[in-house]
Amino acid sequence: MTATPGPVAGATRGRRSSGAGDFVRRFSRRREGMVGLAILTFFAILAAIPEVLVGPLQTAVTSIGPRLSPPIDGFPLGTDELGRDIVNLTVHGARISMTIGLLATVVTVAIGVLVGIVSGFVGGRIDAVLMRITDFFLVIPTFVLALILTPIIRDVVGSATTEVFGIRMTLIVIVVVIGITSWSSTARIIRSQTLSIKERAFVDRARVVGAGPGYIMRVHILPNVINLIVANAVLVFAGAVLTETTLSFVGLGDPFQPSWGQLLEAARSVGAPGLGAWWYFVPPGLGIILVVFAFTLFGSALDDLLNPRRGGRR
Amino acid sequence: MGGSFVARRLGQAAITIVAIILINFVLFRLMPGSPERVILRGTPNVTPERIEALRERWGLNDPVFPDQLVAYITSTLTGDLGYSFIARGQTVVDVLAQRIWPTILLFGLGEMVAIALGLALGAYSGWRRGGPIDYLGNSVSLILYSTPYFLLGMGFLLVFASSIKWLPTFGMLTAGRVYGSPFEFLADLGAHLVLPLATVSLGLVGQYAIVMRSSIIETLSEDYVNTARAMGLSEGRILRHHALPNALLPTVTLIAINLGYVIAGAITVEVVFNWPGLGTLTVQALTARDYPVLQGVFLLLSVAVVLANLVADLVYGVLDPRVRT
Repeated sequence: MTATPGPVAGATRGRRSSGAGDFVRRFSRRREGMVGLAILTFFAILAAIPEVLVGPLQTAVTSIGPRLSPPIDGFPLGTDELGRDIVNLTVHGARISMTIGLLATVVTVAIGVLVGIVSGFVGGRIDAVLMRITDFFLVIPTFVLALILTPIIRDVVGSATTEVFGIRMTLIVIVVVIGITSWSSTARIIRSQTLSIKERAFVDRARVVGAGPGYIMRVHILPNVINLIVANAVLVFAGAVLTETTLSFVGLGDPFQPSWGQLLEAARSVGAPGLGAWWYFVPPGLGIILVVFAFTLFGSALDDLLNPRRGGRR
Repeated sequence: MGGSFVARRLGQAAITIVAIILINFVLFRLMPGSPERVILRGTPNVTPERIEALRERWGLNDPVFPDQLVAYITSTLTGDLGYSFIARGQTVVDVLAQRIWPTILLFGLGEMVAIALGLALGAYSGWRRGGPIDYLGNSVSLILYSTPYFLLGMGFLLVFASSIKWLPTFGMLTAGRVYGSPFEFLADLGAHLVLPLATVSLGLVGQYAIVMRSSIIETLSEDYVNTARAMGLSEGRILRHHALPNALLPTVTLIAINLGYVIAGAITVEVVFNWPGLGTLTVQALTARDYPVLQGVFLLLSVAVVLANLVADLVYGVLDPRVRT
């Protein structure tokens, strides 16, 4: 089970630490990565300033359009069954979907990194137990677990109306549930990298000088896996957006803060596809496809450059 | 040697299944309201005697640990998962039994089509790496991989329900229709199956193609392939006899490992087409907060995935002795 640190890993590492400018140059040569980055920038702008672009989120009360109307003057992408502007809903949906995705990624990666570093560094029985748990979460259909956990945790939390980062409690529950169900692959990746860093001379030196395990993990291991964490986080984000979308689609979204998945659920439940009301679900649907696609492109390009195990390979 | 490998894998699978039951038990305790209310929700004519009998049978008068836990594991293992409340007091096992066949039909066929197409497309792309099919196939695979399954279904529904009315888009059979012959029944079922099946297959095919492509590329750079080339074998022969068999193995294992991830997404397709399987059952149960049914679905799918993984591991172990360590 123990990975021996190859001389190759050390060599690539030396090459990589030659500055940020070099990294930008090498990344900009990857066409797919740049396409991904461009699409992401577009959606990040939508998510950052929705009010400036389309005004405040329309509600059943503030909607002014006709009901379920195809694109007409003043409503370039038509309206939903409440007369809300689809452009308005889609742009605000970008903020909600991407914020949930971002928060869920932070939770997922934090758990995965903690488990991975502790498991790899401490080793022994703790490693065995943590990896058993990790394997368990890798095997079981975690989405179905998320399906049950979400309503149960919501019932336990009650109908608190507090908001975190402008996100309602119902959706924060989704963030937490995605986090605790999808950290396992991150933990695996970080653990194997920790195993090889642990064997390097500077860790031994720190130990000899008298540094404690907590200090070594924080100061010596963590900075050396940060590249890997970044590359992995981008891919985790794509998964988190998809999971949130699917959870919302099966009815666990929040109608008061409609994410793209929630809009798709609303479109399906009023029968939009069957009625030919493409304008209702194509814009949020395209948003999801493009964001996940862009993150996958961007993430694989980063992974190729930053992951020592795949260094340079296409 | 081989015996201990099998025994260890069987042991791991058993522990995983016990852990799944354990999660269900903890969730069951977390739920608001007393357990017997959760179990009996929706059952008509609940008398105090009935509640008492139930508390007795489920051991709810005993301490939580170890008595209740043991009782829970025992009843789960003997197939007692409580009562559904959307199905008005039918047992969860009965409800699942009715809904599992449509899902097996749709998902099983969908997997077969997707595996066949995905492996063929992936193998060809990897073999003709950098060619037009590879380029196109790769882009389409990535986009399909980024698309939630149900969204594909909504696209199909848009085309076939509102514009081209060739195929039924709702349910598994025409409601209220009386069939003159088994053949007529199959034709009706088949017509209803086309769109959901196309959605599931298309949703899955992208990721299988991507995995197969990278596997074949890896295999083609192996020494024995170079040897075969040096011996002057034709490219087609090298692909069929040397690269394909070796590239298939890791791909099929990966497919088995990803099954759990895939099942969850694929069942949402059922919701779009009102296919009466586990996916629509899950959504109905979610809307009504029918926890016993949700836990039943979780248990059923998890155990199915664990078993699929076990079979894949054992098959891989037979075919490739190197993993039996």
